[in-house]
Amino acid sequence: MITIPIPETPPASRPQAPPLISIRDLWKRLGEQEVLKGFDLDIPTGQTLVVIGRSGGGKSVLLKHIIGLMKPDRGDVLVEGESIVALSERQLSRVRKKIAVLFQSAALFDSMNVEENIAFPLREIGLKNQALIDERVAGALEMVDLAGEQKKMPEKLSGGMRKRVGLARAIVTEPRCILYDEPTTGLDPIVADSINRLIRRLQKRLGITSIVVTHDMKSAFHVADQIAYLYDGRVYFKGTSEELRASTDPLIHDFIQGRSQELRTDD
Amino acid sequence: MTLFIRLIGQNVLSFCAYLGQLLLLAVDSFRSIFTAPIRWRLFLGQMLEVGFRSQLVVVVTGAFTGAVFAAQTYFQFHRLGMDSAVGAVVSVSMFRELGPVLTGLMMAGRVGAAMSAEIGTMKVTEQIDALRALGVYPIDYLVVPRLLALMISMPLLVAECVGLGILAGYFVAVVLLDVQGAYYLDYMISFTGSRDIKMALTKGVVFSLIIVFVSCHQGLNAKEGAVGVGRAPTEAVVIGSLSILVINFFLSLILNAIFPAGV
Repeated sequence: MITIPIPETPPASRPQAPPLISIRDLWKRLGEQEVLKGFDLDIPTGQTLVVIGRSGGGKSVLLKHIIGLMKPDRGDVLVEGESIVALSERQLSRVRKKIAVLFQSAALFDSMNVEENIAFPLREIGLKNQALIDERVAGALEMVDLAGEQKKMPEKLSGGMRKRVGLARAIVTEPRCILYDEPTTGLDPIVADSINRLIRRLQKRLGITSIVVTHDMKSAFHVADQIAYLYDGRVYFKGTSEELRASTDPLIHDFIQGRSQELRTDD
Repeated sequence: MTLFIRLIGQNVLSFCAYLGQLLLLAVDSFRSIFTAPIRWRLFLGQMLEVGFRSQLVVVVTGAFTGAVFAAQTYFQFHRLGMDSAVGAVVSVSMFRELGPVLTGLMMAGRVGAAMSAEIGTMKVTEQIDALRALGVYPIDYLVVPRLLALMISMPLLVAECVGLGILAGYFVAVVLLDVQGAYYLDYMISFTGSRDIKMALTKGVVFSLIIVFVSCHQGLNAKEGAVGVGRAPTEAVVIGSLSILVINFFLSLILNAIFPAGV
C-alpha cells in the first residue's frame, strides 16, 4: 500500500498548538471486523481537524473512543495529557464536560422541547438560576440562527434545525472541544452549507477545538484546518486541505473525486 | 450427540451470562441510589406513570379475580355445606398468591413493556449516548427513578388488588350468593393474619425488582432498527412474566417457612 508520510511539521503559516487530544496506537475490533488498526493522531488545541473516510470505515467509532463511549482493545486516548481509557463511567463524566458531541442524528431528547434540551447540560453542571439558564439558552439559539424556537418539540423540527439545536446544546456549556459526527449527512446542499458556515463561525468566535468526521468532501474543505484520511483502520494521510488536493495518490484522488474502483477499471 | 451437548452448553452459558448482566445492573442501580443524587422530578414522574396510571388495570384485575374466585369456591364448598369458609379461602389466596402474582403479571405487561420500549428507543436514537456524552450516567437517570418508583408502587398496588379482590369476593358471596355475612367475615378474619400481609408485600417488592431489571436490561441492550426496538418490549414482557411465575413458586416455599400459613 502506498502511504504518504504524515508531515512532521505543519505549514509555517499555522504554528502547531499543543494537542488537546492525542490518540495512540488505537485498536478496535467489532465482531469479525478490525475497525481500527493502530490509529495515531494528535488534535491541536484551537484547530478544526476533519477525519475523512468511507462509510463504515470507523470514523464514528473513533469519535466514540475520544469521548469514552467505547473502550479500545488496545491503545490510548489522552485528553489534555490524561489517559481516559481506564476511567470508569463516573470518572469519565469529568472529562466529558470538556468535550461536547454533535451526533449524526442530533440525538435530541424527544421528551423535552428545544429549550429543555439546551438547558439540560447547564442543569447538569449545577446551574440553578432560571433567568441565567434562559439567557444562555437564548444566546446559544441565537448563535445557531434559531432565536425564538425554544418551545418547539424535536419532532416538529426539520433535519437541519435538529442539527442546529444539537449544536446549540453542544456549545451552551462552552466546552473545550466539539466532536461533529457527520454534521451534513442527510441535509440538502443549502442547509449543509449553512451548517458548515456555523461550524467555522463557532470555531472562530469561541476558539473551540473541533473534530469533524465526514465523507462529505465539500464540507471537509470548508471547515478544515487539517484533514486526516482514515483508511484501513489507520491514518493514511494527514495534512492541510491544499496538501490533500495536491496529492497524486490514487486512493486519495479517488476519494476526493468520489470515484469507485469499478469506475476506474471501466475507464 | 456432541452437537446436542454443545447446544445445551451454549444455552446454559448464555443464560448464566444473562443472569450475570442482570445482577451487575442491580448492583450498579442500588449503588447509584446511595452514591448519586436522586432525581426527584423523574422519580415523581415515574410514580405517576407506574403507580397512578396503573389503577384501572389493578382495580379490574383484583376485583374480577376476587369475584370469580369467590363464586367458584362457593360452588364447590356449597355442596359440602361450608359456604361461610369462602371468605377465608378468598382472603388467604388473594394475599398469598393471586394478588401479588396477578399484579406482577399485569405490571410486567403494562409498565415493563413501556420501560423497555422507551429506553430501547433512546438507545437506538443515540439519546443514551447523548446522556453519557453530557456526563450523565444512564443508570442514575433512567434506571434508578424507575426502580424506586416501582419498589414503592408495587406493594401499594398489590395491597389495592388484594383489597378489591376481597371486597368483590364479599359482594359475590354475601350479596349475590346469600352466604351469611357475619360468618363470612369471622372466618376470613380468623384465618387471615399479618403473616399473609407480609407475604403479599414481600412478593410485591421482589416482583418490582424483576420487572425493573428485566425491562431496563432489555431496553439498554436493544438492537438497532425497528425489529430490535420491537423485540425489546416483547422479550421484557415474556421474560418478566415467566420469571415472576417461576420465582413466585420458590418464593412461596421460602416465605411459607418464614410466615407459615394459617398458624
